Amino acid sequence: MATETRSKASGAEKPEDFIIKLQQEGRALPENQDSEPLIAPDEVNEEDAVQLQEVGVFTDQRERSGTFVMQDFHTVSAMSLVDGLELLPIHVALETYDWLQEQYYFKAVPADKNERTAFVAAQDVPQGYFIRVKAGAEITLPCQTALYISKENIAQAVHNIVVLEEGASLKLITGCISHRKVPSGIHMAVSEMYIGKNATLTSTMVHSWGEDVVVRPSAGVVVDDGGSYINNYVSLRPGADIVSNPTTWLNGKGSSAKYQSVILGSEGSRIELGGEVFLNGEGSSAELNHRGVCTGGIISQQGILQGNAPCRAHVDCAGMLLERRDEGYIESVPGIRALHPEAQMSHEASIGRISPEQVEYLMARGMEEREAISMIIRGFLDADIEGLGQELDDRIATIAQMAGHGEG
Amino acid sequence: MLEIRDLCVEVHGEEILHHIHLTIPHGEVHALLGPNGSGKTSLMMTIMGFHNYVVTQGRIYFQGEDITEKTVTERARMGIGVSQQRPPTIPGVTLRQILDYEISNSESRAAIAESWIPQARVDNFLHRHINEGLSGGEIKRSELLQMLVGDVSFAMLDEPDSGVDLEALDIAGSMVNAILTEDPAHPARRKTGLVITHTGQILDYVQADKAHILIDGNLVGSGNAHLIIDTVSQRGYAACGQCMQEKN
Repeated sequence: MATETRSKASGAEKPEDFIIKLQQEGRALPENQDSEPLIAPDEVNEEDAVQLQEVGVFTDQRERSGTFVMQDFHTVSAMSLVDGLELLPIHVALETYDWLQEQYYFKAVPADKNERTAFVAAQDVPQGYFIRVKAGAEITLPCQTALYISKENIAQAVHNIVVLEEGASLKLITGCISHRKVPSGIHMAVSEMYIGKNATLTSTMVHSWGEDVVVRPSAGVVVDDGGSYINNYVSLRPGADIVSNPTTWLNGKGSSAKYQSVILGSEGSRIELGGEVFLNGEGSSAELNHRGVCTGGIISQQGILQGNAPCRAHVDCAGMLLERRDEGYIESVPGIRALHPEAQMSHEASIGRISPEQVEYLMARGMEEREAISMIIRGFLDADIEGLGQELDDRIATIAQMAGHGEG
Repeated sequence: MLEIRDLCVEVHGEEILHHIHLTIPHGEVHALLGPNGSGKTSLMMTIMGFHNYVVTQGRIYFQGEDITEKTVTERARMGIGVSQQRPPTIPGVTLRQILDYEISNSESRAAIAESWIPQARVDNFLHRHINEGLSGGEIKRSELLQMLVGDVSFAMLDEPDSGVDLEALDIAGSMVNAILTEDPAHPARRKTGLVITHTGQILDYVQADKAHILIDGNLVGSGNAHLIIDTVSQRGYAACGQCMQEKN
């Protein structure tokens, strides 16, 4: 199965030029490591385990329904702890299920979409996770996956597929992180999510990348009748060059998608969040909520919602620029496009600052200036963003603290 | 407790307080009177240390220590507190959060908060963005509650009695009393305070030991609170100021 894939993808696009470019950038390319035996998550060595904790992946698997860990070029661990949840390395799944190739593999993200998807498609042994939640299975504990770079300047290629069958539900935590000692690298990930009828996927991504890591996810999401997709994105370490433009097809009647992002940008970083949502199903609905705090660097909040059916959609971008630096800005470019007369669509965007009066008001109650700024940023990030849960709330507090202390 | 010597203050490059001398001994509550725009609020904001109020001359001493260069935080932690007339709104920050910060790990402060939250009638905006869309009366109750829980030793109150109906005045009055009470068992033993009032209504709830009149940024006179208020209400600020100056 994997062999077929390779030939098919390389036929679609020849990534030789891109490979040369990666080599010129000094990137180490993926090595063939399909023979590596998998280990249990709690066998991950302590140094790596500590790194993973930062992005919400706990190797002791407490309060988790399953765990997947990919380190550098290969899958380290893949384990489901509950019935109804299947969690396999993608290359194993491709060998196990013919239908995966036929129905899902590079169907929501075309292999020839860009040079990076072509590169991912050209891997001899694709790496990444396959998650399937069987019909009617409601998985209450979150399933955690880690995509981890621990070696300097590697080109990590990942392909993930999530299939939720009818009536299934899953909370998925994906932690993407580079080791504290690894400043550079490139992370290319293809993620395809298929949400079946009346199924619900809550996908929470936590990123923490080194300052020169280039992050280029390519995601495609397809939602069937009554299905719902919720994507929460939090970027913790403020470095890196991140461009994320997922494509979402709300094909089903009454299907819905909600994207919420909370990011901290700092000097030298570039974070661009956009993507397209196609509201094709009757009564479908979509919501985009972007929150960004910029202490330097570039934050660009984009994205377009296209109403092709009677639907409802709303985009809300809010930014806060903390310090005036020579290079760096925050921009919000929310977009809506209606192709159907019964598409109800709206957008709003605002960029504000913290006024000294607000800070001093809190200082007059005894807070240190930094505490006051953190509290204000926290409030800004939390406002109108719902249901992130305790873990993400804690991370937002961390972002607020970092920004407040000028570490952003 | 508080001593101000020869204080000149600028706001946006314009001097708005001129050579102010003011002393408030420990345990005394003073009233600060004056027409609109005379600099009463500016004096409080300067004592609190807000950045817009730039001291160009003179010093401010609190508990014997020169606080002129101290930050707002440092002053707050020394026990200075202010209840503002027009506090800023802060989206995403709630009154409850601020109270929780003030309570920190103190059981006694927590008890004060829990007993006063219903009395101060702040329940319906406790979890809303601070000061956003609040009426004048609600802002006062919120501000006074923060001072109560914060347990200040020197309370500056900017018109706790203006623009409120009688019932609300009653609540504000009892809150101000509680703020200034050092020990409930000894009503005569009070904290130190400075109260800006236009109407003097709050002085029905809190006895002022002394009153000062501020006109055009000049402290023109000081004396018995009730006598001064009576004179002002009968003859106006200008006449009162003139009379003070003649006396001096």
